[in-house]
Amino acid sequence: MERDLDNANPTILSVSQLPSRSRKGTAARHGPDSTCHGIIYPQHHWPYGSSPSSDEDEDYNEDPMDEQDVYDLISTISDPEHPHTLGQLSVVRLPDIHLSPSPTELPGPESLVTVLIELTPTINHCSLATVIGLAVRCRLEQTLPPNYRVDVRMKDGSHAQDDQVNKQLGDKERVAAALENDTLQRMVDKMLETCA
Amino acid sequence: MAQFKQWALEYVLSDDETAQLEIAKKAATEIESSRASSAVVGNWAASVQQWMTPTSADDDEMEDGDDGGSGDIIARAKALGFLSGTLEVLEKGLLKSDQFLRLIGFFGAMFSYDHKAGITASAKALRQLYSMKAFKPNMGVKILDDVCKIKEDFRLQTAVTRLEIYELFLGLVQDPAVSSELRLQYGPSCGFVIDLLQLCQNERDPRNLMVWFKIMALLLADFDPSSEVTEEIFKVFSAYFPISLRSSATPIGITAEDLKEALRSCFSSHQRVASHAFPFLVQKLDQGDAVTVAVKLDILKTIQACIKRYENPQANVVPHIENIWNSLKYEVRNGEVKETIDATLDVLRAIARRLDGTGTHKLEDSLLRSYVDLVSRDCRDDLANPTYTKQAGLLLMTVIGANIRAYLLYNASFIDTIRQNLRQPKSPTHTKDLLLLLNSLLKTRIELFRNRKQGHPDDEKALAAETRTHLDTLFHDVYLPIWTTKAKGPVSEEKDVLKQVTQGLALLIGQPVLQPDGTLALLCSASVCSEICSLLTVTVTKGLTLSSNDNQSEDTALEDEAVLALRTIVLNYTDGYAELAVRVKAEIKKRDWVSPSEYSLNALKDLLSRFTFIGCSELPSSIATSTDMPAQKQPSTLEHFITLTTSLLELFPLSSQGRSSEAIDTEDGPSANAHVVSSLHASVIWFRDACEARYGKEVLATPFSGDQNWLQEFQQLPEDWPSQIRRGDEGPDSLLSASQQDGAGLYHQFLKLSLLIVRHLYRSAAFGPRGPWGERALVQLSQMAALVVRNLDEKLQVSCNLAHQAFDFFGSLEGHSEQSRSSDLLTGLLTLGILQGLRPGALEGLYTPGGEAERFMCDTSSFGRSPSRESDIRAAIGAILVNKYNGKPSTSDPDSSVMKRVLNFWGNWVTESVAASSAMDPTTFHAYNRIAMNVLAGAAARQDKHVLALVPTLHQAAASPHPNGEILAQSLGLIVKENPLLTPANHAVVKRFYKQWAYSHLAKPLLQPAQPAPDKDALAAARYRVAVLSVVSKCPFTVYQDDLDLLIRLLVTALSSRGGGNGNGNGNGSSDQQGKEEEAERSAQVAAALEVFVEILSHEPQALKGYLREVIRGVTGVYQACSPFAPVKEGGGAAAASLKAPSGAAQATCRRLALQVLGAIPTRFEERHVLVYSLPTQRMLAVACGDPVRKVREVARSARANWAKIVV
Repeated sequence: MERDLDNANPTILSVSQLPSRSRKGTAARHGPDSTCHGIIYPQHHWPYGSSPSSDEDEDYNEDPMDEQDVYDLISTISDPEHPHTLGQLSVVRLPDIHLSPSPTELPGPESLVTVLIELTPTINHCSLATVIGLAVRCRLEQTLPPNYRVDVRMKDGSHAQDDQVNKQLGDKERVAAALENDTLQRMVDKMLETCA
Repeated sequence: MAQFKQWALEYVLSDDETAQLEIAKKAATEIESSRASSAVVGNWAASVQQWMTPTSADDDEMEDGDDGGSGDIIARAKALGFLSGTLEVLEKGLLKSDQFLRLIGFFGAMFSYDHKAGITASAKALRQLYSMKAFKPNMGVKILDDVCKIKEDFRLQTAVTRLEIYELFLGLVQDPAVSSELRLQYGPSCGFVIDLLQLCQNERDPRNLMVWFKIMALLLADFDPSSEVTEEIFKVFSAYFPISLRSSATPIGITAEDLKEALRSCFSSHQRVASHAFPFLVQKLDQGDAVTVAVKLDILKTIQACIKRYENPQANVVPHIENIWNSLKYEVRNGEVKETIDATLDVLRAIARRLDGTGTHKLEDSLLRSYVDLVSRDCRDDLANPTYTKQAGLLLMTVIGANIRAYLLYNASFIDTIRQNLRQPKSPTHTKDLLLLLNSLLKTRIELFRNRKQGHPDDEKALAAETRTHLDTLFHDVYLPIWTTKAKGPVSEEKDVLKQVTQGLALLIGQPVLQPDGTLALLCSASVCSEICSLLTVTVTKGLTLSSNDNQSEDTALEDEAVLALRTIVLNYTDGYAELAVRVKAEIKKRDWVSPSEYSLNALKDLLSRFTFIGCSELPSSIATSTDMPAQKQPSTLEHFITLTTSLLELFPLSSQGRSSEAIDTEDGPSANAHVVSSLHASVIWFRDACEARYGKEVLATPFSGDQNWLQEFQQLPEDWPSQIRRGDEGPDSLLSASQQDGAGLYHQFLKLSLLIVRHLYRSAAFGPRGPWGERALVQLSQMAALVVRNLDEKLQVSCNLAHQAFDFFGSLEGHSEQSRSSDLLTGLLTLGILQGLRPGALEGLYTPGGEAERFMCDTSSFGRSPSRESDIRAAIGAILVNKYNGKPSTSDPDSSVMKRVLNFWGNWVTESVAASSAMDPTTFHAYNRIAMNVLAGAAARQDKHVLALVPTLHQAAASPHPNGEILAQSLGLIVKENPLLTPANHAVVKRFYKQWAYSHLAKPLLQPAQPAPDKDALAAARYRVAVLSVVSKCPFTVYQDDLDLLIRLLVTALSSRGGGNGNGNGNGSSDQQGKEEEAERSAQVAAALEVFVEILSHEPQALKGYLREVIRGVTGVYQACSPFAPVKEGGGAAAASLKAPSGAAQATCRRLALQVLGAIPTRFEERHVLVYSLPTQRMLAVACGDPVRKVREVARSARANWAKIVV
């Protein structure tokens, strides 16, 4: 059954345009000449013995959860209409993710953190805004530790009925009830399939 | 008679095919034994009489089709089957011609009278008769006549029966004698063809169609039918076009593609259908959107087949070209599907090739000319329209590039059109597309030159006479102006244009011209080549010429393109590389390398890496030389390699200060000098790979000829040989005899030169100032030496006495004390490099009692007291020397006792070092123990039996109460750990099952004693556990899979006790530092146990079924204990708290592995087994999702998702 799409032509970002965690230092160049760089410029330049290598330690550095982490969790959710992710459609945007208190000021590992996500639907009358919000909420509740409180909202002015949508998404009972609905649950599961 | 009747009856009554065959054989034998006497054959034929005479009732039934008579029909069919079955097994030359005629008459008559029962058997029988010796062509004509009489009832026959008849027809029309008889009788009117067409035109069975198409193709090709008949045949087969096949549940072995092919061969069978075929196909194509891609492809392929196969193209193809072109051009111009575009271009190319003629016979010039004119007329205007530039160019290129004549006809005007359009481009994309076309024309030109010998001899002459002015001016008129305008701060679209220019320049330099004497030369003059080179060199050296502020672009695509272009350029224009080298050297020398910035170092690294790639990743071609190049200077294949390496050697060292004179700074980052050495290493790798790609592995493995001692030859060279070679002096050049420029000879010359470079660097490192030689540079030099040495064969390694050079470093030792040499990291690395590459046979001389080898294998006197780089190197050298010992008596070691002594030495050392009375300080023990274990690893890899004698000593030592015992137990895994030095590539002796061997002797005996039990020595058991875990975690799963039961209990214990190797507190009040080290080792033990769990879970999870509770509890405990937020419990007894001492990385590794094990469990076991653990585990994993380490968080999330699927 073909349904008319709410927004038939959304703007799509390519994967390389999405915000990502840039590695420390400059990324390795991949020119035609770099095929033997693994041998002549190895990551661990001391190939003999077991001296602890500093590079490996770097992978295990302590890195508290930050906005980019949250972005990575939810940007890969599929859009219910288009074969693209919420990140590609800019429904989820890095600057619209707020952690409070911020990761650097976290007093202890178990202190309460609030994650506020502001979604921007591709058009302001998007009928699926609630479903998208629900999916984002589900994804975060499934992946964040228990001391994180999730608050999903529509960005101010981005949706014609943002008050209503926000109310729905903020109401725990309604969210729980929505997920009791098989059709909705299936839809959300489908959207979360693309999350690694 | 009675006998035949009986058989016939049996045959009719039988339903079993084998039985029927037996009966037929009996009848055939009977006829054969009578030599086909008329009586016997008559009896045989008459035996079916009773079924043949139709009763009146039969007739009625036949008419009204009543079911009541079907029994008779079946019986009659079977009776006829008896006759045809007999014929099938009957000797082919037996029947006499009168019998033969009668049989043909009889079976032929069936097609007129008995359409219900007689056809299958008759068709079979006729096919048998046709294959018999007595068969005459005129009988074939009669058979055809008879069979056609079946008329309308043909389509009522079963598909199998029809297939029989088709096969019969095919056999007849294929038979040259029958077909000539047919032609004689019917002439061009081919009356029988019309009958056949009427008979078969409604065929739908795919198997039958395959044969029917074949028959029609033969009729067209061989029978010369009149135009009316041709048209009739065409009508019949074209009605099937386009053909498809419904997918069926029972595949019949024929695909839609087979049917298409068969039908296509009807279309292309003969040019006499050309006047019908082309308009028909073109009209089908012009149906627009109604045609699917598959059908379009079918049409295009059919047109192509017709063009290729029709003879006399002038009469049969030329009249249709315009129509074909007018229809096809839109497929490319407006087409979107790649497959159809490709197929269309194939058709256009096929036309151009057909109009040119063959390699032996050229067609008239005007045919091709008018075709090319037609195409160019339609496409030229499109080149000015950015929307269609690409498509129009594609069409033109396809036609022009099809053959030399077409190219020569139109290339000048094509280039001219492009040039005009480039002057007023509509957009950067338009420029890019136009350049793309120009480049592909240049590429096509190179291809045409390459294949010039395969065509007509006239083609080559025409190529030699080609006018070239339009090509000569390309650089200054087209490429250079675009480059100059776009090169200043290009934006992304313009970068694409510049990339095209870069590619174009490379193609331009590669353009050959044919000289009057038949040799090839370069089109561009040396000055143009040089100009192009310098243009691209500027791009490549940009990183170093600009400052970090001016060059912040992340995108290196243009530079990479320039690198590829330069590589192609210097293959043809060999002087270009020398020019590049001069420029690179000058740029590098301009900077100060004493304390360079990170930017400078990266720029240097990139530049050198590219410089190396350009010169060495492909072997220069030896054909193309510029017309104005001095004749006496023939480029050598090694030329670029020599230029590169001598330039790098000249640059080295870039800085000689900044380091203390003796100590080598190990923690420092890469230095400029290290980059130079890395590039020398890379040049050897690249050139070797290029040789392998060009000549293949076999050629490279050709043994070296004669008794050569390269080192002796090298001694005659002056110290400054690199600069002499560069200047082109005679001396060093003679070293590399110019006669061997190909294959194995070239490769050997390359190795010789590489060894010379290694020698040069070794001497510089060993005897020169130490300033330039940082650790990275030395490691690279060592690996480069290993690479060069391991490519030499054993004979050469021996004749050059490389084993001793590993300790002499290609020079005299005067002035260097023995002590400083052996304890030095520098010399250690140099030694290691050569030893690593030597073959076991070349090392023999070293194993003299008390000689160099023994000293290295069991010396514990001369280096620092803690694990260090020196001890790593010593361990590596020990492993190699022990491994490459072949164990046989030799001149240097007549009793083959060296290895025994070495292993005894280490056995005694271990015993002493852990004995409470004379125990060694643990830190020192740690360092020496690594050497001991590596020596054992070398011996274990070749399964030396002396190792077995040492095993009880090791077990005993591991159980010693001294802390050294635990260090030893922990390190046993080194014996089976993968060691990059002990690989077949490095000529190490590695037995295939040595890990099994080592495991069964080292770890397996400890499995039982390691089990915890109240009556056992708990410390010994714990130590054994540590030892087992250390070994097992380094082995593949298959090695220990038989002992899973015992092993899992150990693993669970390891998790739950976490530590405990020294658990009873040996009371010697270890210091904080020592405590930390011990804890680190314990966390290593836990990590090892977790690694083994991961392996078991992925290979044989069911083994863990009985231990799930313990595993989950243990793993959860490990995670919590390793958590950085876990509360530190007071008191030394808390094993969990003790894990906090090791580094954050080790803890994080434990946490990651613990979560990995936990996450794998729900995927491997049924829900009912894990349900009970679900809730607490999910709670714990939810917390783990907030782990401070990102990598751990990722694993936690996936584990949490796996557990979330368990529904409580």
